[in-house]
Amino acid sequence: MKRANLALLIVLACLAALPLVGGAYALRLGTMACMYAILALSWNVVGGLAGYPSFATAAFFGFGAYATGVLLNAGLPLTVSILAALIGSFVLAGLLGAVLLRLRGHYFAIASLSLVGVLRELVNNATDLTGGGMGLNIPLASGSSIMADALFFFYGMWGLLLATALMVIAVSASKLGFGLVCIRQNETAANMIGLNATLYKSIAFGLSACFVAAAGGLYAAWVHYIDPSDVFDILYSVKPIVMTLMGGLGSPLGAACGAFLYLVLEEVVWRNYIQIHSGVLGVLIVALLLLLPHGLVSLRFRNFWRKAKHV
Amino acid sequence: MLAAQIIINALVLGCLYACIAIGFSLVWGVLNVINLIHGSIIVLGAYLAWGAYQSMAISPWYVLPVAVPVFFVFGYLLQRLLLNRVLHAPVLVTLTLTFGLDLILNNAMIYFFKADYRKLTLKPPMGSVSLFHVVVPVDRLIATVLALALTGLLYLLLRHSRIGRAIVAVRLDRDAAILMGVDVRSIYAIAFGIGAALAGCAGVLMALIFPISALTSSSYLDKAFVVCVLGGLGSVSGALAGGLLLALVEGIGSAAIGPAYATTLSFALLIVFLLFRPQGLLGRKGFE
Amino acid sequence: MRDLPCWIAVTIAGSEMGVWMSGSKLIHWSAVLGTAVMAIASWSASGSPVRAEDVIRFGAPLPLTGPLAPEGIKQQQGYDLWAEQANKAGGISVGGKKYKVEIVYADYQSSTPRAVQTTEQMITQDNINFLFGAFGSGAAKAASTVSEKYKVPTIAAAASSSQVYDQGYKYLFGTFTPNDTLTTPLTQIIKSKAPDVKKVAILARNDLFPLAIAQEMEKSAKANGLEVVYFEKYAIGTLDHSAALSQIKSLDPQWIFITGYINDLLLARKQMVDQELKAQVVTMIAGPAYQDFIESAGESAENVTSASWWHPAERYDGKDIFGSTENFVKLFHDKYKSDPDYGQASAAVCGALFQMAIERAGSLDRDKVRDELAKLDVVTFWGPVKFGPNGQINSLEPPVFQIQGSKPVVLFPLAIKQGELKLGVN
Repeated sequence: MKRANLALLIVLACLAALPLVGGAYALRLGTMACMYAILALSWNVVGGLAGYPSFATAAFFGFGAYATGVLLNAGLPLTVSILAALIGSFVLAGLLGAVLLRLRGHYFAIASLSLVGVLRELVNNATDLTGGGMGLNIPLASGSSIMADALFFFYGMWGLLLATALMVIAVSASKLGFGLVCIRQNETAANMIGLNATLYKSIAFGLSACFVAAAGGLYAAWVHYIDPSDVFDILYSVKPIVMTLMGGLGSPLGAACGAFLYLVLEEVVWRNYIQIHSGVLGVLIVALLLLLPHGLVSLRFRNFWRKAKHV
Repeated sequence: MLAAQIIINALVLGCLYACIAIGFSLVWGVLNVINLIHGSIIVLGAYLAWGAYQSMAISPWYVLPVAVPVFFVFGYLLQRLLLNRVLHAPVLVTLTLTFGLDLILNNAMIYFFKADYRKLTLKPPMGSVSLFHVVVPVDRLIATVLALALTGLLYLLLRHSRIGRAIVAVRLDRDAAILMGVDVRSIYAIAFGIGAALAGCAGVLMALIFPISALTSSSYLDKAFVVCVLGGLGSVSGALAGGLLLALVEGIGSAAIGPAYATTLSFALLIVFLLFRPQGLLGRKGFE
Repeated sequence: MRDLPCWIAVTIAGSEMGVWMSGSKLIHWSAVLGTAVMAIASWSASGSPVRAEDVIRFGAPLPLTGPLAPEGIKQQQGYDLWAEQANKAGGISVGGKKYKVEIVYADYQSSTPRAVQTTEQMITQDNINFLFGAFGSGAAKAASTVSEKYKVPTIAAAASSSQVYDQGYKYLFGTFTPNDTLTTPLTQIIKSKAPDVKKVAILARNDLFPLAIAQEMEKSAKANGLEVVYFEKYAIGTLDHSAALSQIKSLDPQWIFITGYINDLLLARKQMVDQELKAQVVTMIAGPAYQDFIESAGESAENVTSASWWHPAERYDGKDIFGSTENFVKLFHDKYKSDPDYGQASAAVCGALFQMAIERAGSLDRDKVRDELAKLDVVTFWGPVKFGPNGQINSLEPPVFQIQGSKPVVLFPLAIKQGELKLGVN
């Protein structure tokens, strides 16, 4: 196993110790951190490894949230609902991926972006099933105490994050990961040497969707109420990309630390600048991109990257 | 009669959509940058028109000649000072950079103008003309004519001026253009400036029609996306074709299956186009 | 205890320095990230400000940015006015001691998950005593699960759907009556004053409150023997209503009922004029209650009817800090140079109700204040206030009004009626 991947697991282990030092609100932030990291790590599979700029994260997040919400309302237990959302979105994304991933560059970006719109409007109009614009209540018997609840969702999300991290590590070590890197570097050539690019890309798209959907499902149970404009928020697509860019494209460790850094920035900025927080966040994003274009991981490998660029 | 009314409405709306999208299309086509600030620049243009009418009773038509240089300089500087630094970075970097810039501009507008919706209401109102029971509002008609005039001007500029030819050359083949001695960096900045000027003018015209607030910027951006893909990237006629197609689909769709589905329909159409005709209705030629 | 996380962070930061020297990337990275994680923990635990002795802190999560920003800013004005008045009078007296009012604001960016997070942050970090609910039924409902867990009394200033209150929560109260209390009197007035009205067309924004009120309207119309010839939803962010309006025109209804927020309604009204769509009665909810709507729509606002939960023309003689409705309107006008609408008034009355409940309880104990809120039965500038068993107000008669001569004129309830319904909207 690569050292960076080992470091990722160590970071996750550190995160698991959060309940030892923090209260309910720290756990809420911790849960958010895990959720963001799931989104960023998942995005990294299709965006970082395969090099396809996907904006579909919000589509699968919302899909997972609604799938879980509807199943919970039908009386199924939480774990079963989330598992169903996970498998359902893997299949859905795999099928969609086979079609959409024929597109490249900006065209793929726009197609994945409009996927969010299509799913959101479908949910909006399927009033009988989803409540449409009125939103969906999720009747989950909440745990006994505040801390028990917070711990439950924190470890739930953390468990999903761990699963995502293991998936990402397994992918990058496998033939699939190698194939995806080949596709990023030269898809035509990869096809020519007999690599089934469509299959690889579909699987990658499916893998990048399924844990996002599971996170969406757990999130729905966590907040008890979802509506289409909240869970199909385009920011769920943009944020993982910003996080990954902050951390460093293509590196799982970078994606995870980018997610944590983003959460910290968002929280600090949002707390301190009530009126202008989104502007300040914009300034930070612009500054990071201009001053640190290859993300946090480039801090130590800057020379290496410079050389690599000219190869 | 209803059908005729709906089609006339859609044609007028389609020209407005084209006007919203054209600057976006130019920047995307020439610079290969998805410019997410586009929507906010349109809103800024609308505020300019609103401010001029509110404080000095200057009609939006007279604001247009002022908006062009102001927004051109704004766009030119933005490109020269910021975007140029990351132009050769991957697609995602430029996209995220414009996302960050959009956050800044949008927040600044909310801070200075408040988020409240404003409306530019001409006094007296311009009313509508009706012909065989088909009604067309005059202000939309004028905005449409001006929007068409602007696109026409852009077409002439690209077709007949030296700078225009250089922009088209860069759009078609950047490396060949460099070899021919075109200063690509300055062409990029000029193209971005023109894109911003077009967005600003679109905003001035939209001020007559839509309520004004920084919160509407994403709606404009959404329309620009769809129009570009439907019509084909980076051409004046493409933007026009895309705008008309989108407005027709929305209008007929909302009459036939309900307004709530109009948006779904336009997104679905977008995906179909991407898959089966990614070059859009009018193919990908030079930006003319 | 509070110092513990900081100490850990410092230790890890220290070890990071050591590792840097030894050059192991692996440990270096885990240390950096460990620091980041611990920093979140420590900083979120130590963020609470020192609590002054004689201050009561109220948390107000508001959508100050994002699509709901205009509404959020209105609510803030209401809270500010109340806090100013309460402090001018020396503060809230609790068992003979005066406490100053302090309102803690946070922006939840018009996003429900942020509203939930903000609510928890206010309770656990900012040490607020009491809470104002988030804006709108969706966010208020989601956030109320948090305040209920912590047993913090919460008054929602802008949540009308009965689903919000039917969760069996003990600590949630609301100053809006259910949606049908708006549509029923409206329908009855139209029915009695305009017997020619037979056909209704309803166009609703596909969003929690606008859709809910449109559905209530459909029920009220059917209950009163009107024919609903058109009922459609439009998507959030719709830029053009011309197709829907042309279709409505072809059906020739006498009553057109459109719901949405101020931008939707301004656009829809403008396009109605553009399309020369006329009707005997045009009702819009919730735009016309706002002065901005009347100003922006200009002449086209004339004769548009609407209903809301409160109106500055009401005349109540209240026992709260503002006293009469007139006095409230005057104070508001002095501070903001404009007339208050129901959003601002509701926010202000929420503060005033807390003040009364706290003074009656004679204590800052959350449970005691909660019990006093539940027992309240008073007249305020907002109207008579009494909360039902589910926490939602059930004593209010929401006014129906019409824009006449660029002024809202109250048609109902009879006690404060200012004019007669005028027919014909061009």
